[in-house]
Amino acid sequence: MSLNDILSLLRISLHAMVPLALTAVGEIVGETAGLFNIGLEGILLLSAFGGALAAPHGGPVVGLLVGMGTGAVVSLVFAVINTYWKGTQMVTGIGINLFAMGFVAFGLIQLGAPGFHDVPKAFELTKLRTPMGLMSPMIGIALVLPFVLYWFLRRTRAGLMLKAAGEMPEAADVAGINIHRIRLVAAVFGGVLAGLGGAYMSIAWLGVVTKDLSAGRGFISLACVVFSGLNPLLALLGAFIFGFFQALAEWVKTLPSKPIPGEIVSMLPYLITLLVVSGAIGRVRFPKALGTPYKRE
Amino acid sequence: MSDQSAPSRNGFFLRAERITKVYSDGTVALKEASLELRPNEIVGLLGENGAGKTTLTKILSGLLPPTKGRVVSPKGAVRFGSPREALDFGIGMVHQHFALVGTFTAVENVALSHERPFRRIRIEETRRKLERLIEESGLRVPLGVPVEKLAVGEQQRVEILKVLSRDVDLLILDEPTSVLTPLEVDELFAFLRRLRDQGKSIILITHKLKEVGSITDRVVVLRRGEMVGDVKTSEASVEQLARLMVGQEIEKEADAVELKTDEIPRAASRREIDRSGDGVLHVENLVVKGNTGETAVDGVTFDVYAGEIFGVAGVEGNGQTELVESLAGLRVPVSGAATINGENILGLDPRQIYRLGVAHIPEDRWELGLVLPFTLAENAILGVHRWEEFRGPLGLMRWGRIGQHVRRLMERFDIQATGPNAPAKSLSGGNQQKLIVGRELAKDPAVIIAAQPTRGLDVGAAHYIRQTLVEMRDRGRAILLVSADLDEVLAHADRVAIMYAGRFVEVCPPDDLDRQRIGMLMGGAAGRETE
Amino acid sequence: MSSVESSAQSRWLRGIRRTVTGLHPVSESLLAAVVGLLVGAVLMYIYGFDPWRAYVGLIKGAFGGSYELASTISRATPLVLTALTFSICLRAGMFNIGAEGQMYMGGIASVLVAYFVLPRGLHQIVGLLFAAFAGAAWSLVPAFLKLTRGVHEVISTIMFNWIARWLALYLAIFVVVDPRRPEKTLSIPISARFPVLVRGTDLSYAVFVSVAFALAMYFLLWHTAIGYEVRAAGLNPSAARYGGIRSKRTMLLSFVLGGVAAGLAGASIVMGLPPTYAIYGGGGLPQLMNLGFDGMAVAMVGRNHPIGILVAAVFFGGLNAGGRVMQFYGANPVPLEMVRVVMGAIVLTMSVPELIRLFPMIRRRGEDLFGILRRARRTERRESA
Repeated sequence: MSLNDILSLLRISLHAMVPLALTAVGEIVGETAGLFNIGLEGILLLSAFGGALAAPHGGPVVGLLVGMGTGAVVSLVFAVINTYWKGTQMVTGIGINLFAMGFVAFGLIQLGAPGFHDVPKAFELTKLRTPMGLMSPMIGIALVLPFVLYWFLRRTRAGLMLKAAGEMPEAADVAGINIHRIRLVAAVFGGVLAGLGGAYMSIAWLGVVTKDLSAGRGFISLACVVFSGLNPLLALLGAFIFGFFQALAEWVKTLPSKPIPGEIVSMLPYLITLLVVSGAIGRVRFPKALGTPYKRE
Repeated sequence: MSDQSAPSRNGFFLRAERITKVYSDGTVALKEASLELRPNEIVGLLGENGAGKTTLTKILSGLLPPTKGRVVSPKGAVRFGSPREALDFGIGMVHQHFALVGTFTAVENVALSHERPFRRIRIEETRRKLERLIEESGLRVPLGVPVEKLAVGEQQRVEILKVLSRDVDLLILDEPTSVLTPLEVDELFAFLRRLRDQGKSIILITHKLKEVGSITDRVVVLRRGEMVGDVKTSEASVEQLARLMVGQEIEKEADAVELKTDEIPRAASRREIDRSGDGVLHVENLVVKGNTGETAVDGVTFDVYAGEIFGVAGVEGNGQTELVESLAGLRVPVSGAATINGENILGLDPRQIYRLGVAHIPEDRWELGLVLPFTLAENAILGVHRWEEFRGPLGLMRWGRIGQHVRRLMERFDIQATGPNAPAKSLSGGNQQKLIVGRELAKDPAVIIAAQPTRGLDVGAAHYIRQTLVEMRDRGRAILLVSADLDEVLAHADRVAIMYAGRFVEVCPPDDLDRQRIGMLMGGAAGRETE
Repeated sequence: MSSVESSAQSRWLRGIRRTVTGLHPVSESLLAAVVGLLVGAVLMYIYGFDPWRAYVGLIKGAFGGSYELASTISRATPLVLTALTFSICLRAGMFNIGAEGQMYMGGIASVLVAYFVLPRGLHQIVGLLFAAFAGAAWSLVPAFLKLTRGVHEVISTIMFNWIARWLALYLAIFVVVDPRRPEKTLSIPISARFPVLVRGTDLSYAVFVSVAFALAMYFLLWHTAIGYEVRAAGLNPSAARYGGIRSKRTMLLSFVLGGVAAGLAGASIVMGLPPTYAIYGGGGLPQLMNLGFDGMAVAMVGRNHPIGILVAAVFFGGLNAGGRVMQFYGANPVPLEMVRVVMGAIVLTMSVPELIRLFPMIRRRGEDLFGILRRARRTERRESA
């Protein structure tokens, strides 16, 4: 393996890290407040699709914004159902995923696309030239955001409020915090970030939308969240690790002589995720009120 | 009845006028309760379980709205829509079950109550303020440790500091000493006295008579939602308070007094009970830890013999729950022994215990006693669902036979429902409890453990269940009756143990006690403990 | 309670409210189905299709004739099983999202019957056993991870879905591949195939396996002691403990049964789907794909009850079969994928609890507003609470 190969691998890893990091960090905010959104996969798909559709009409930034908006809307629906309407978070999430799978597939057909839809190169987010090759500026955002959120969660009162809402809503209620409202805001924020991650995939990285573009990334992000113990910095690390294995799988597939079949390598990211989650669970501690709707008295 | 104290020089701080609170399920928690709170005063709010103390203070602190009545300040009527509004007004409550976020440190918990979401929390500033408060109040607490790792007494201090940091004028403490060691209690009381001298108004909710005597200036007694006494502490005697608390009005004639209480006729057993040797249920030196690691049952020894009802009276929270749980297979005790007819029951799982001839009427019928979405039939076999009579060939359930069984139960216990297939949650509380009782008694048990069996029931249902227990007793069963309803225990038990702080402080036939003494025992005022 | 006016109008409204809130849960499913179809119609309309024609085509394609019916039932067959996977575990209080992966493993395992010869009936049974075993094994690992390491079953089952996908692909391409036609696995030998039930369709005897398993699960859950324990533990773990039920046991049992169900689903496709009776490797196992997730939708609409699942599976099978026809029907046909959109919308709607009770709530808000206005207009007559 030459230096070039290593750099190449690193570059791809960083790119692969972005949607995972963004989604995971967004979900951390949501889970800190007590909402467990299993519909991330669907949000990724929908925003990738939405962003890809919008980019040709307004440029890549607009596409990204549309992606974020899509994520916001979907998670708003999720949040309302599961706070004010005291719904079942799991079922809502599954519904979102199913809906997204169908809708994107349907939409692709509508575009006359044979299963995938290219985002015209001109409208992709320009990549920057670096010594490692062409890299998307989104990587920078994905690297910085976790630090910002880490500070936010730890050092602002809003971060405290979020944690209180997720850990012991009764205490937060007594302190005068509107539990439903804060969970709503947290979920929407998570949706915005996931939407950004999804749109990134179609506009800034892969340049294409297929009906299973997300490839389980939503769930891998969830595993990232578990691994991180709701610490955004650890989530970033986890995202990089998983991204690395995804890149590795891709890279092995491109090798002329195939030492390991592509299929086996493709299993790696998920296996690693599983191993990490199984190992990490012992020392990780989740907000006590995660997943349960809040009722006063 | 009540003796209105003269208003203090500074007037009043807050007044509750004729507060009535009826919950959505119809329970009347408060009936025209009035209370005046003045600065420089510590008021003790005394009463048994369900008297309405917590409800009243929740209304004062903004957690609950009153159904009728109002709260008045010198400036006019006030309404608190949320705890925060009450806090802003100057009312702070220290709950019995702390409203603290376990993973936060003390500083973070305090910071939670302050304004401005997006400001960077001035952790340093809050910490300094907290340190100053600690200096002033003498309530020492480590500031950098997650609250869940602190001792319970320290947690309580955090809760108090949290409230103090908001500059309250009225401080409400709900059973604060139930989790404190005697030394911590002294420290707390010294602190409260200092606060009072600074001009604050303090409400201390308690069921402990000794406390009332030692720290309060005035005592208000609630009983079944009504205000039955408002006296200056210096002018009241412990006996008097005990009587007020447990429902005996101050009458000249001692005999006529008995009739003033609820009409529960004495149902003492006429039979001679053989109390030689160990009882059917024999418990020796049982020590059980509670959920937070504290010792809930502190070495209890007793026997329940065939043909008697052994009553355990006392205010809830003194270890009764843990005692029952350890005997029913739901909690593993720390040490001690317990046997049924000589066979050990500690550490067994519930089904094994049932097979030894035990029936358990649990104190929480929704959490433990029933699976609410299940039908009556399905609930009627909970715990006995594997018995042969309910199963046919291939181990399939014989729902036909189970249905018959349920119908028989419904008839015998007068359970009102549309049929065996009605969901349990459609039944009223009384009928649900009757279902549970019927189910348990159908096991033909040798021992019946009844925990709070008539709690929350209407008079008819409660009466029926008590009668049933008496019937079982007359048929030679051994019954352990644990109840916070003193009248119930006194009227039906052949022997009574008063449980206080994890111990039995007195065990004797109910005739040997007068209500006043009982009240004192329940309040820990006359401690002659059995070993 | 505030004073009630007994004008005819409010009595009428109250009657509606009482009817609506007292309805059976079945109606919630119906309501959700209707909402889902409406959402689909709206989307179709937005995209310029004719929803009416589309749905006509759908219905014709699902129930229009014996061929169509057979098609519907054939598609319903695996859905029943994957739905049961989700439902059985849900009844035990668990979220088993792994039907997809467990099904893949079951399908691959059933291909193994191609390696030996057995008389007719036995061969099929063995194939089913292999599939059941593989599905159960695949489901038990997440179960143990939960029991021993506390790993949330949602994440572990989903990871296993993806691992299974790749593993099955690998096995299909490299291990059990048909040497003469490498794009697919070995075909199930004739002695092991499920014969076709209705000539000319793809409905095979596998449907009986499906129905039999569903009925067996019904009996298990509602007519045996262990089934009772599973349900109790799922509904109220504390009360179950009080009743002497060990929740570890119920949990493991539910996962085993769920895995068996999904494995059988895989077998029903591989051993029952003409003409190839094999798995195609290319394109990611197209015959099996998404049956696991669709099964979840079926489970929810079927209220997690085996009988309800049978009905819901026919409904969803009809959606699938009809969708196939709908995409060729009329001048401007609607693509097949719309069916999944409808499914997703249905599930989303089902996730709102007590959907029906929301309407009275909205009405009550309106009532409150109305009452305030009324009181403002009346100058005297204070309301006594």
